[in-house]
Amino acid sequence: MDAETRSGDINSSPALAADGAPAARRRVWARFRRNRLARASAWFLALCLLLILASMPFALSWFDMQGLENAVRHPPVVTPVADADAFSGQLRQNPLGRWFTWAEPAAHYVAGWMGYDALGRSLLYRCMLGWLVSLGIGLAAACFAVVFGTFWGAVAALAGGRTDTLMMRVVDMFYGLPYVLLVILLKVGLEGPLRSLLGDRAELANVVILFAAIGAVSWLTPARVVRGQVLSLAQQVFVEAARAGGAGTLRILWRHLLPNLVGPVVVCATLVVPQAILQESFLSFLGIGVRAPIPSLGRLAADGVQAVNTFVGFWWLITFPCVLLVATLLALNFLGDGLRDALDPKSSQAPIV
Amino acid sequence: MLRVLMAACLVSLAIVVVVVIAVPDTLRADFTYAAASGLNTLDPAQMSWTKDLRVAVNIWEGLTAYDPQTTTPIAGVAYFPPKVSPDGLVYEFTIRPDARWSNGDPVTAADFVRGWRRAVEPGTAGDYAALLIDNIAGLGEYYDWRNQAVSVLTSLSRMSAGGGDRAANHRQSLLAHALECDNRFARTGIRAVSNSTLRVTLARSCPYFLDLCAFPTFMPIHESIERLRERFEDVPLTAQGLVVYDPQWTKPDYAAGAKGNTARTRTVRAKARDSLASETGGSACRGLITNGPYRLAEWSFKRRLRLERNPYYRDHDRIACRTIDRLVYSDANTAVMAYEAGDVDFLPGMEVHYDHRLVQLSAAGDRPDFHNPAVLATHFYIFNCRDQEVLGRTNPFTDVRVRRAFCLAVDKKLLVEKVLARGEPVSDHLVPVGLIAGYESPPALTADPAEARRLLAEAGYPDGRGLPAIDLLYNTAGVDEKTCQVLVRMWRDVLGARVELRGKEPKTFAEDKVNRRYMVARAGWYGDYNDPTTFLDIFRSDNGNNDTGYVNRAYDDLLDQAGRVSSATERMALLARAETILVREACPLLPLYQHTNLMAIKPYVKGLYPNARLVFPFRYVTVD
Amino acid sequence: MMRVLRRLVLGLATVAAVYTLTFVMVMVVPGNPFANPERNMPPEVIKALEARYSVDQPVKYFFEFLAGAVRLDFGPSFQYRDWTCTQIIASALPVSLTLGFVAILLAVLVGVPVGVLSAVNRNGWFDVTTVGLVMIGISLPTFVTGSALLILFAVFAHWLPIGGWGSLAHLPLPALTLSLPFIAYVARLTRIGMLDVLTGDFVRTGLAKGLARRVVIWKHAFKPALLPVLSFLGPAAAQAMTGSFVVEKVFGVPGLGQHFVDGALNLDRGLVLSTVLVFAVILVAFNLLVDVVYGLIDPRIAEAT
Repeated sequence: MDAETRSGDINSSPALAADGAPAARRRVWARFRRNRLARASAWFLALCLLLILASMPFALSWFDMQGLENAVRHPPVVTPVADADAFSGQLRQNPLGRWFTWAEPAAHYVAGWMGYDALGRSLLYRCMLGWLVSLGIGLAAACFAVVFGTFWGAVAALAGGRTDTLMMRVVDMFYGLPYVLLVILLKVGLEGPLRSLLGDRAELANVVILFAAIGAVSWLTPARVVRGQVLSLAQQVFVEAARAGGAGTLRILWRHLLPNLVGPVVVCATLVVPQAILQESFLSFLGIGVRAPIPSLGRLAADGVQAVNTFVGFWWLITFPCVLLVATLLALNFLGDGLRDALDPKSSQAPIV
Repeated sequence: MLRVLMAACLVSLAIVVVVVIAVPDTLRADFTYAAASGLNTLDPAQMSWTKDLRVAVNIWEGLTAYDPQTTTPIAGVAYFPPKVSPDGLVYEFTIRPDARWSNGDPVTAADFVRGWRRAVEPGTAGDYAALLIDNIAGLGEYYDWRNQAVSVLTSLSRMSAGGGDRAANHRQSLLAHALECDNRFARTGIRAVSNSTLRVTLARSCPYFLDLCAFPTFMPIHESIERLRERFEDVPLTAQGLVVYDPQWTKPDYAAGAKGNTARTRTVRAKARDSLASETGGSACRGLITNGPYRLAEWSFKRRLRLERNPYYRDHDRIACRTIDRLVYSDANTAVMAYEAGDVDFLPGMEVHYDHRLVQLSAAGDRPDFHNPAVLATHFYIFNCRDQEVLGRTNPFTDVRVRRAFCLAVDKKLLVEKVLARGEPVSDHLVPVGLIAGYESPPALTADPAEARRLLAEAGYPDGRGLPAIDLLYNTAGVDEKTCQVLVRMWRDVLGARVELRGKEPKTFAEDKVNRRYMVARAGWYGDYNDPTTFLDIFRSDNGNNDTGYVNRAYDDLLDQAGRVSSATERMALLARAETILVREACPLLPLYQHTNLMAIKPYVKGLYPNARLVFPFRYVTVD
Repeated sequence: MMRVLRRLVLGLATVAAVYTLTFVMVMVVPGNPFANPERNMPPEVIKALEARYSVDQPVKYFFEFLAGAVRLDFGPSFQYRDWTCTQIIASALPVSLTLGFVAILLAVLVGVPVGVLSAVNRNGWFDVTTVGLVMIGISLPTFVTGSALLILFAVFAHWLPIGGWGSLAHLPLPALTLSLPFIAYVARLTRIGMLDVLTGDFVRTGLAKGLARRVVIWKHAFKPALLPVLSFLGPAAAQAMTGSFVVEKVFGVPGLGQHFVDGALNLDRGLVLSTVLVFAVILVAFNLLVDVVYGLIDPRIAEAT
């Protein structure tokens, strides 16, 4: 789904073991392992993460290294074009980078492999940092959305009656707002106060606002899902038993319900993360995403797309960020699907017909 | 079940297709040009955007008009040149007898008085009212008086919202005020001596006055607009004392817009609007009546604006294009592709990411249909010269040495040639060099990193130590991000300063700039007329467009003096001296480059000349 | 019947709540709607304009706007001074409705059969290909697919016009771009729904009773499998028909989506409030429609409430 819409497609409810027995967990894990696509996606993501974390000292020093003299819009090359001295100087100044000066020649050698952008900056290192920023925003937004949504849905389901109706009406109301509008207004509105709050480190304010705004529109689906889950769980025998034993609502929630909610919540989260990343790329396309000079995959992809034309080929500006973005989203989606399949035994059976 | 569903879908699809086909296609116009966004307004007194001005000069005609190649003033509705008094302060225009509105009515001097008066009214909220107010005698006092009266009447209207005695008083005051308005305006420098003679008395020497007369703010307005005036009961003012017209008056068809804009006060909607339907002249004249070579035929929001040849225009049989279309392509890339494919004949602007390549093609002669003329506009950044504290931090730019240091530290050549590569000339001046005849630009500062460091150390920040984080404000809707990032890097490398970028959406950007919530901000200025004062005036202490807070009485005095002097050379020398203060001594701004405008004109289009003012009168255009 | 009425009332309450929330947000967000980044307006003029448009009296504006909205008079736009919001929406809504409608139709026409077929041939080559394509469809940002299609069709094979609106030829490219993610989601949901049903008990019973395979799939399993698709299509149709900003920007389509964004970025309160109201009403209408169809498909639901 493109970033402007929300999907409400979490409809299948995984059947859960009543008390999360270890045997059930092993079965889930085994089912997951059998899904080759999900396994491959998990490996791909892990590999990417490792590679990018390894490059972080260099990416953080060099993502804004402008090579204005001779690297502007330079196509990919094997040997770096930009000035080596400036690079090592910049690396030494960076608080993290100065521990890694021993790896500097190798790291600098690959700087030109994805070409350079309009300001002569290495696209490789911008993509690395951008990947981390995008994933970070996605995860942060998903965390916020899932935690808040779980809390909301669980409380609504347990409270029941009028409170439940009221809380779900609030969810409906938020569904009724056009997502685009909500994000823009939140962003424009929160920017001022947050900047004054964060004071000196104001560049971070932008990133914080982004994931707050995206998270604020993403908590609705988890809320609905969790409410459905808790409603069905609450009717099961073990909850009645716990209540008969004298446990309070909060205790039931914490000890008995939450462990069983892990499954659907995790599935929710893996679906919210790619959506959040897509939403961030949409905001970057609008021009109100992550602000310069901090890159994000969505921003790089949006900028690259706008450079498409019939006069001059800047294929590297478009290809690398887009491929990376799509591959990451694919991997996340496959992973999510795999997790959901693993948690729902019915879906792995062959159909009868 | 599935079959039913599929059948239903296919049938719906077929219905949609049929409906879409049934809606008739409009034939392509004789000449089509593309724009990046819809028109803000067609009201000549309110418009300030170039895209709006471009349409206005084609459907209205002022006392003078622009020459399509040199953009100097030529004859318009009035005979050229007009009678001028020896001191240059009184102009007398005689309107041609064959000047007509698009419904056949003759153009009279009263139409000009009506138009100019409207432009000066606070209710019109005209951004360019200053062009009239500063130059014509008596309008300044009239404007101030009207503003005060409006403030008083606004509070009166709030108090009398309940009705009764207070409301009656309110109405009385409004009535009295309306009469007083007429009296006072009759005493200003604009007078219709006869039906075809207009006498204008200026407040100060204005050698470019004829240039101004071609500008849309100075256009005449047909009397039919009076029927759409918002009235408070029977008084021709709103409850706040404003003169406001139903914005629907600019539509080609009033009836279509009849449902709009309800006023929030007790008003009586003019019933005479229906009598407009009986006016002669075809569909266009049921609404907007204009006097230019073209008239408005159709206007659909953000989609298309269609102009058609005005049959009552004096030279109408020499106008080649009968219809002109203005299409909106909000994506610059799509617009360029449309041009390449032949859907569009003229692209007035191409703000794409690969424009440097297009400029290259144009300069090399590979694409003779691409033009990149220098424009009467400068791109510069401004410093906050007044506030000691900005955003909770000390503002170092109140010290002139810091400002000069930051100016000297920028390598403009590198920025303009390597990064932007659009063929824009580097500029160290505010007034574009070589574009205004008779004006010689004074010497200015050139890049000097060593001197910059020395000045910064002298100001108390050696090597940038002790400098607070500098705030750089820019507009995210523009294409300035690259420039900003380059500036950040240059200031860091040369001065050791840490600069934080703060990009804002256009509206918040404008507000922050006006309220001086910035340290360095992106700015720029497009000249409105062919005289250095269009640039120099914005740095006057009392000018509404002065966002820097820069106050210099000596500078203001120089400009006032230039306004009193009668010799042209002396005047230009004084203005050059004023500019020296700005770009060499006080440096409230950092000029970067002079704008150029990349545009594309199909080879089969003749009569369209790229010029520095970006003025395109379409009446000379022929399409083969 | 009662169910529908109750839903209607709830829907109206939702619309009112949405309006109030948006109003609060719009009033709270800082910014002067009359500010212009290029030129500055004198302060008296700004104050007078604010008084004229009741900008400085929020409560009054709240009720005036609502009263006007019921009459379909949405007041003036602060950014485009010559136009009223009613005119703007009236010119943009039909375009978005047409485009969205075609996109949803395509989504159903293509997505549903594909989903059913891939569910039935689970793990066969068709299924695997479908799942792959569906995933890619979900993972591609719209501006990428839009630009790619534009370049492909309009530049290299100039069969279709480059953006704009007004004839049949302007319809296929934006409709296709808009529908791709919907097709992917519909196919996926149908597949999941079918799989859920096909592993269920009543299918087993049907086969045991001796019904033919084809009959079981198309006549019995299909209807309940559609339920998740339906509940997705309700809000999805509302989203599609109120315009997509990306598609409109890339293809130059004068639809409603850009007005959401423009209104918010320009702090044009009138436009923001009117577009939000229109969106909320359309969403409520579609949810109601989905509810009705739900009741028709699954009589158990109709009885239960």
